[in-house]
Amino acid sequence: MAGIADFLDSLVGGFELICYSIVMGGLFWGLFVLRPWNETTSHSTVLLQKTVQLIYKGGLYLFGAQLFKIVLKIWLMTAILGRWPFPEFAETTQFIGGLTHASLTFLLVSYFFLFLRKNPDSKVNWLIALLVAFPMVVSGAWLFHAAGRFDNQGVLMSLTVIHQLAAAVWVGGVLQLVNLWVLRKDKQVSEQLWPKMLSRFSVLGISAVIVILLSGLPIALQYIDNWNGLVGTGYGNLLFVKLILMVLALGFAVLNKRAVTDYQVSANDYALIKRVPYYIEAESLVLITLLFTAASLASQPPAIDIPSLTANWKEVLNTFHPQIPQTISPTHSALLAGEAGRVAIIDQVPSIAATEWSNYNHNIAGIFLTVMSFLAMLSYVRKLALIPSILSKYLVITNYWPLGFVCLGVFLFFRSDAETWPLGPIGFWESTFNNGEVLQHRIATFLVLFLGGFELSARLTQNTKSKLPYVFPILAAFGGLMLLTHSHVGFQAKSAFLIQVGHTTMGIFSLILACGRWLELKLDRPGKEFAGFISVAALFQIGIILMFYREPLY
Amino acid sequence: MRQWFQLVSLILILAQVELVSAHAVVTAYSLKSTPIHAHQADKVELTFNSKIELGLSQIYLVRKGDKFELLKVESGRKQGEVIVNVPALEPGDYAIKFKVFAADGHLTEDVIHFSVS
Repeated sequence: MAGIADFLDSLVGGFELICYSIVMGGLFWGLFVLRPWNETTSHSTVLLQKTVQLIYKGGLYLFGAQLFKIVLKIWLMTAILGRWPFPEFAETTQFIGGLTHASLTFLLVSYFFLFLRKNPDSKVNWLIALLVAFPMVVSGAWLFHAAGRFDNQGVLMSLTVIHQLAAAVWVGGVLQLVNLWVLRKDKQVSEQLWPKMLSRFSVLGISAVIVILLSGLPIALQYIDNWNGLVGTGYGNLLFVKLILMVLALGFAVLNKRAVTDYQVSANDYALIKRVPYYIEAESLVLITLLFTAASLASQPPAIDIPSLTANWKEVLNTFHPQIPQTISPTHSALLAGEAGRVAIIDQVPSIAATEWSNYNHNIAGIFLTVMSFLAMLSYVRKLALIPSILSKYLVITNYWPLGFVCLGVFLFFRSDAETWPLGPIGFWESTFNNGEVLQHRIATFLVLFLGGFELSARLTQNTKSKLPYVFPILAAFGGLMLLTHSHVGFQAKSAFLIQVGHTTMGIFSLILACGRWLELKLDRPGKEFAGFISVAALFQIGIILMFYREPLY
Repeated sequence: MRQWFQLVSLILILAQVELVSAHAVVTAYSLKSTPIHAHQADKVELTFNSKIELGLSQIYLVRKGDKFELLKVESGRKQGEVIVNVPALEPGDYAIKFKVFAADGHLTEDVIHFSVS
């Protein structure tokens, strides 16, 4: 049960950050973008109500998540210690700080519900809401990992509060833009609001990004003291991933800003209506992934604390080194024979069979994906009529590339967890619910299997209103999340990191895959085809990484 | 379709796994410089990079055959220092396995191998 409790703890961490962003980002949105006390027309009433509703509902979920997190900690400790953790747990900063934080959140939500919801036009109400939110924001500092540090504790806690708040302003604001677009699409708000709010949010968004960078840099310098720490540790790697995701999100933000500027010059709202909303949706996807990565980063030991476990850049580059894929698997009995020695503490014997079993799984999965994505890229080339028609006729088969997912799903089902059913001695239910990693593999296998069927139907359907095509990008985005937050147990810290590097790189490509496909479905030509091609090219990259994967022995 | 989307989203969110939180790590331990001698009870100092909640932490001695024995622990003089009381041991290979709850709320498990001669 410890695996499930720890698993949920991590999940709630990411969910909590999203709710926090909705609340705090929504408050700043109300104060600096919406500014309802300045509006004299009635067209923004619906927007105002929906905005406040989003904020207090987000606050309610935040309160629930904070309480649930405390319950999970109790559950986790009971499972790991094998006893009830009280009274000791009641004296910890986590328990006292967690309860205080949750109580202050409840106070804030009550204020939203009792006052701001009833009179959202009042500037005083918004300012009081910000004042009530202040202690809740500050109390969170005792729950960050900075609270457990010995050096510069106060500075690190303060900087983390500012960093988190600025991120919430950006993410929460983008989510409010999505809310506004939905209302505009349903014709519940005036058309003029869309460019007006986009323009106002640009200023707030840019300010938030500047604060994120200014507060993040000194934190990073406190936790990472050299270049090797950035490229050669799990902490540095996830920080690097955060930076890449931030650049991706900023890329979409720049496109939006340019569209707003063009509109202000030409009064042509084509890009604002046909492109910007979808860039914002893709940006939201990237930012939510960024929040989960941030939650995952908090559980990594800072690079400065593990100099002896840091890999150098050559070792990191070597994990991507091209090599002949392993296409011969060790036997199942050889694998099981080595398991006892591999998991032993005293007299541990590394299992070559286990390493080769894993290499084979990754490499074969890579071959599946590389072939599929190559066919997918050909299908786009065919669509663009870049090849002779006689050849094009034979390339109809490339449209069926998603079937490869079905084959991959079957392969994964048999090979993912050799010690469990159907190949191993541990039963299906026992392994699924007692081991978080097996549970994750089972879910991934199930999804891959069905993804093939869904995506094939989605690409072949003639129904233009079908929602089926959206399944693929959503699954790909969450697949990316899994790869970015996936831990590798049973290895020495440095080896676990070297495995992590490949997985996080694939996580970024999964997100590009998801955003590309999403934009392909939403954008007009020629951006549509371009986004689609980028999407399957990202899948090709994932295939290549998997095909060259080599697992460390220890 | 909408419910299906919600179901898929739920499954996918639940697929988020982080198996071992490992923010707290041992940055130094006395076994590196002061080995344990046979037939003589001793104390081992572990220094963590974070504050540790001792009441919610467990440190075990692991003997041959992976047999576990819970050890008594106390706080050291320095920040993050934990003193582990190790009983008199026969010569051989051993390990200290710890499950510690850090002040930042993360639980960490790790193993330190050592030999007694």
